[in-house]
Amino acid sequence: MRDFKIPDLGEMKRQDVVLDYAFQLKARYDPPNAYRSAKGGRFYQAIIGGTVRSPRLNADVYADSGGAFDTLQVGNGVRNINAHFMLKAENGDYIYVEHVGYHRPDGYYRVIAYIDAPTDGPYDWLNGTTFVVTATESSDLRDVVFSYYVAN
Amino acid sequence: MDFDRREMLIGGGGLALMAAGSTGANARSAASDAVTGAGTEPMWFGGSEPSIPRAGLRWCFSVAVLFAQRTMVQSPTPRGFTWAAGGPIWGPRLQGRVLPYSGADYYRNGFYTHYMLEAADGALIHIHNRGTSRRFKAPFTPGMPLEPAQRDEPAGWTRFRVSPVFEAPSGPHEWMNQTLIVGSATIFREPIDHTEFHYFEVL
Repeated sequence: MRDFKIPDLGEMKRQDVVLDYAFQLKARYDPPNAYRSAKGGRFYQAIIGGTVRSPRLNADVYADSGGAFDTLQVGNGVRNINAHFMLKAENGDYIYVEHVGYHRPDGYYRVIAYIDAPTDGPYDWLNGTTFVVTATESSDLRDVVFSYYVAN
Repeated sequence: MDFDRREMLIGGGGLALMAAGSTGANARSAASDAVTGAGTEPMWFGGSEPSIPRAGLRWCFSVAVLFAQRTMVQSPTPRGFTWAAGGPIWGPRLQGRVLPYSGADYYRNGFYTHYMLEAADGALIHIHNRGTSRRFKAPFTPGMPLEPAQRDEPAGWTRFRVSPVFEAPSGPHEWMNQTLIVGSATIFREPIDHTEFHYFEVL
């Protein structure tokens, strides 16, 4: 390994992240499926519907466009969230949504969302944006409310 | 082909190049992100009505990374290579250094890094980082809409945010395997070209 001497970088001030509430996505899923795999486990759950109703985005979940393809950590019940699905906005635009994060047995369910939207439409503001998302779910795991905040 | 890494950092859609040196936004003296000092109190943010769950952030650590060499592979989707040469790690939940030359930003359509952190106790922690970057006319002010900067105009504020995924060994650092973290990233040219990452646990 090559050595590296850290130079004097001067005074370093913390740059904070400020969250700005954007909208809620209310999603409906099929019942989940989970199985052991060579890498630990896989958790699959199809997204079958959902809505976003807000001043900044009005869209429906495009039914059966994807869902959760999570992996399971070994021995602690933690799910690594890896979800992909599409929205169809009120103007017909298709919007891709990706969730990456953690679902823990203690109820902690948080994800980062990355969204791809058409650059020439009203939802271009979603592009180039990191969303911090707090999720709450029903006891059968089929109804999940995602509260999206823009990481500014 | 060598080139300025700033031109590689543009992720997301509809983005113009972040014109290097076109504004003071990259200079320490003109850093335009909110700065609230080094406190470790949680910061809470609410929705448009009380029924919307709040979201909280708490500073956990910071990393300054000195990147080295800027190379571009002119593949069908161009691939970048920029070493993570080293740098310090400080903060309430992790201290140490970037393991020298342990990885790089393998840029493709945005920031895409893999390298190793070495904690003060010797633990090695893998970091994979993705990010988004976008240029705006002015810094974010709560309650005000953000206006994107046009391609040919200098940005008053470049929002560069990252979401790292860590793989840490069992033991004192294993919280990093199951805690969502978001970060700010700021590029500085002076006194030495480096990027500072400030990471916050999502509560």
